Order: sequence, then C-alpha cells, then structure tokens
Amino acid sequence: MTHLPPALSLTGLTRRFGTKTAVDAVSIDIAEGEFFTIVGPSGSGKSTLVRLLAGLDVPTAGSLHLRGRDITDMPANRRPTAMVFQSLALFDHRTVGQNIEFAMKMKGVPPEARRARALELLRLVRLPEDYYPRPVTQCSGGERQRVALARALGSDPEILFFDEPLSAIDYRLRKTLEVELKELHQRTGKTFIYITHSLEEAMVMSDRIAIMRAGRFEQIGTPDEIYRRPHSRFVAGFMGEVNILPVSQAGGGAVFTDLGLAAPGAAGAFAVLRPEAVRPGGDAGVGFDAEVTQRLMLGSRTQFHLRAGAAALIAEVAAGPQADLQIGQVARFSFDMADIAWVDA
Amino acid sequence: MRRNPGFWYALPMIVLMLLFFAAPLAIVVWYSLMPPRTFDLTGDIGLQNYRTAFGDGYGVPLMWSLIGAALTTLITGLLAWPTAKILHHHAGRWASIVTALIALPIFISESVRLFGLSIFLMPGGGILAGTLNALFDVQIGTFLNTRFAALVGMIYIHFPFMLFPMLLGVAMIPADRIEAARDLGAGRWAVLREVELPLAAPGLLVGGLLTFVLCLGANAEAAILGGRAVTVITAAIEQRFNYAQDWPMGAALTVLVIAVTAALVFPAVRRIDLNRIIRR
Repeated sequence: MTHLPPALSLTGLTRRFGTKTAVDAVSIDIAEGEFFTIVGPSGSGKSTLVRLLAGLDVPTAGSLHLRGRDITDMPANRRPTAMVFQSLALFDHRTVGQNIEFAMKMKGVPPEARRARALELLRLVRLPEDYYPRPVTQCSGGERQRVALARALGSDPEILFFDEPLSAIDYRLRKTLEVELKELHQRTGKTFIYITHSLEEAMVMSDRIAIMRAGRFEQIGTPDEIYRRPHSRFVAGFMGEVNILPVSQAGGGAVFTDLGLAAPGAAGAFAVLRPEAVRPGGDAGVGFDAEVTQRLMLGSRTQFHLRAGAAALIAEVAAGPQADLQIGQVARFSFDMADIAWVDA
Repeated sequence: MRRNPGFWYALPMIVLMLLFFAAPLAIVVWYSLMPPRTFDLTGDIGLQNYRTAFGDGYGVPLMWSLIGAALTTLITGLLAWPTAKILHHHAGRWASIVTALIALPIFISESVRLFGLSIFLMPGGGILAGTLNALFDVQIGTFLNTRFAALVGMIYIHFPFMLFPMLLGVAMIPADRIEAARDLGAGRWAVLREVELPLAAPGLLVGGLLTFVLCLGANAEAAILGGRAVTVITAAIEQRFNYAQDWPMGAALTVLVIAVTAALVFPAVRRIDLNRIIRR
C-alpha cells in the first residue's frame, strides 16, 4: 500500500495583525479527497485561515505543504488551488463562459479547448449550455453561485476552498446547493475545504469538521463525533439549542446545581443534554417536575421551554399526545444519564 | 390638466443652453461660410474658407495640437494610474491631503503657474539652473522654448484632470475581483489587463476625454513655455480673429477643430455609463 502525503498539511500556521492573533499556531493534516469544514463564529479567524491557505495572505509564522511540497511562500496565482469567494467575486464585465474560462486562459489553453471544457463544467454545475454567452449580470443568485463554482473548477485545482459561499442565500436554495455541493465533491473526488458559521451546514456535507475559536481549533472530528461528544460548552453551544447543566460536588457526590438533583456518575463540570433527550414522563433515570413557560410548534416536533427549580431547560417532543402540554402546566420530565455528554469548560 | 412638469423644470436650462451654447455655435458655423475678411452675416454662402484651411498649411498646427493632446493624454494616463492606485489602496488618511495638494493649483490661474514653471526652467539665473550652479557648481542648459517644454507644461497643467476621474475609476474595482483573478492564476499584468482596466474603464475614458479635449483647446503652454518652437491650432485661430481680422477664416478653423473633437468624443461618450460612476 502506497502512503499518500496529505493533500494539505498545516504546521503551526499563524497570522498576527499587530497585537491581535487571528490564526494561532494551527496544525492539521487534511487528507486527499476529504470534505473538511471549518466552523466558527465571526471573528474566530476562519476567513483569515482560508486566505492563508489560498495564498491571498501571508502567514506570520508556520508552514503549509501541498502534497508534501512547501507552498508557504507561493503566491496565490501559482498555487494549484481555487477559491469560491463569499461575495463570489464574479467578473461582472464578462460573460458566463469567459468567467469559467478565466483560469484556462491564464494557463494559455487554446480557445476551442477552453470552450469545450467550459460547456462540460456548465453541465457539471447543472446550468444549461445556452448560459455560455450570457453576461453574468443576467444570472440569478443561485445561477451566479453555480458560475462561481464552475469558474473555480475551471482551473482544475487540486484543492477547492469555499469561504461561506452560501451565507447570503435563502434557506431553500441553500439546502439544494448543499446537496449539490456534496454530490459534486463525490463526483470530482477533489479535496474541499469549506468555511462556514453554520454547524448545521457543515454536518450535511463534511467528512470532518473543525470548530474554530479565537484562532485555534477547539475540536476536530466527524460530524457524528462533534454532535454526540462535544469537548466543550463552546462546541456544544454551536449546535443550536442545547441544555447545558452545571454540576457541583456536594456532600456525598455530584449534583445538578440548578436542578438540585443527584448526578450519579458525573464525568465533568457541565452536562450537555440535547433537547430531544428531555422527555415528558418519569420513566428515565433522572426525573423532575417542571413548569412549561413556552410552547413552540416546530412541525414534526414541539419545543417546550421548562423551568425546574433554578434551571431553565428546553425539551423537544415528537408530535403525539405527549406534546399536548400547555403553557403554565406543571408536568413530570426526565432524561437518561447515558444521553449526557460531559464537558469541563 | 397640467402637462409633464419635467419640461417646465428643464425650461430655464433649455433656454440657457440655446442662448449660450447652441446660438454661438450656430453663429460660428454661419460665419465660417462667409466670404474671407468680412464682418457681415449676409454675404454669399461658400466653402472657400475650408478650401483655404486645407490648402494653406493650417494642417500643421492642427497636427501639433492633436499630437500634443494625444501625448499628454497618454503620459498623464500612465502617471495617473499608479498615483490613483497608491492613493486608493495605500495612502489611508494621507489620501485626502495628497488629493487636496494636487487639486489646489487648479484654483490658481493657468498662466501664473506656467510663468512660474518658466522662471523655474530659465537658463543661467532660473531657479533650477541657478540653484544647481550656486549649491553644486553644476551648470545646465534649459529646454525652455522647445516643443518638449510645451509638452511638460501640458502634462503639468492637465494631470489633475486625468487623475480625479481615474481615482473614481480605481474606486470602482472591488478588491475581491483582483483576488479572484490572482487565485485563478493571473499575474500582475493579466490582472491589470483582464480585471483592473476593464472595471476602471469608465474613469479612464472620462479622464482621457477630459484631458484630450482640454489639451486640444490649450495654447498657453505652447505660448509661454514653447516659445516660437510650435504653433498650435488654437494659436492660429486666435491670430485669425485678432491680428488678421479674418473672422470667417477663424470660424472655419474653429468648426474643423470642433468636428475633430466631436468625431473622437461622441463614440467614446456612448460607451460611458455615467450612472455607474455617480452611484459610487
């Protein structure tokens, strides 16, 4: 078995702006053909990181290797990578075809070959061939997205970067494009490195996810690992609504501080509990009485905001008779200790 | 019922343009068709002035004007592009100060500035030659009273007219387009050719037109700095009107210059989307 070097290898990659460290000694290997997503809130350094990877910015320290070759000091125009920008950055003064052919033109590919490849790429991103001569200014949002994708693929890059390309798109189209992007990844077999602030978006598409915070990777793992075993409250909080219950040591053992209940087998300072793990009824391990303070219909589920002692919890219940609780009602809820992910910070 | 109110709001401007733009133009055209050396507007209409214009060596001053305007446009363009790029991207809070310093001389009379330049360049006791002589014991000649001096004056005077539209043009280039082009393999020249120049084109075109048209009508540079080395078409026209007292001939030359200008300007103006510039 031959050992392939990683598609991209970051070693202590650092970028400082004055006294502020935007990217703080990030090291990671990204495998050939992987769909790797970096998730972080704004200001976490994820956009700076991808700009370093694409060669649009120069690292203060550290190195970058592409398939074992040092590309740390290689300018963007010589790197065999391509980026889909958040703004898309399409050339509005050119046609769809000219946009897609740009990288090929820069490489000196003859016009007929460029055209043939551009039409191929149009099919790949599911745009009709008669879009070729159109000005990009006449394309809709989703079409522009596809043109940007085709343009990036037009350079036949070894790695594709995506800097939040779907953030400005409405929900339904975003969902469609997420699936298309995942399929495109599977079909092309290229390495995709994707930046987003949405863990939900990352979950759908990625092989591996890195959660970024203050210039560092807080946790790296498969979508499943991130979802089931977050390493910190920060990561847990990223998954949308989640219950985080502080645990303290009192007398004989651990207790849920706000619930005032024993927490047998507690393995951390905080219990992370998904809303669907909090169930009406008292049949699970830890049971408590709670008042319903809010009831939100989510479609297939109903969400309840609960108050129990000093604790505020969220429970999500599948449609059915159990979901009939009303605001102000006090009812018994419970959860299983096995559903808890323990974190220390 | 009132008609379209836009017409009434535009009426003062229409009257103004008719009185002070269209009417003088019509008079000049009419004069150019009158017999030579007459001051009447009632003579026989004829093209004899135009025949004289082509036969009598007025082609040379017109050519000098066109060459001077073209060279000035080209050189100010080459100087203004990097200046605009630096001011836009790197100067930061200095940009407005530098811009003001470049704009300020426009408020001083052109001939005052040109005489200043003339004093600077004078041989022997001129500011440049005198200073070099006094401080470094270096003796230099001068290029005052040459075509080159006239060209230097043209560039000096018209640089701001190229720079400011170009600044607008450069501001129309979004930074991410340049990054996208670089990311897709474009080197510096390719970025300039494929992205920067096309996106800044409206600014370049406006600057180019402004400079070219102003240069075509300029004669102070040639008179003050160029000495007798070069006669430009505006000097020839002035001479027809003033010394030669041949108004019809002067008018015919004027019409020719207007025609040349229009032939260059109209196709270019058609390509400019003024709305796009003003929106920025």
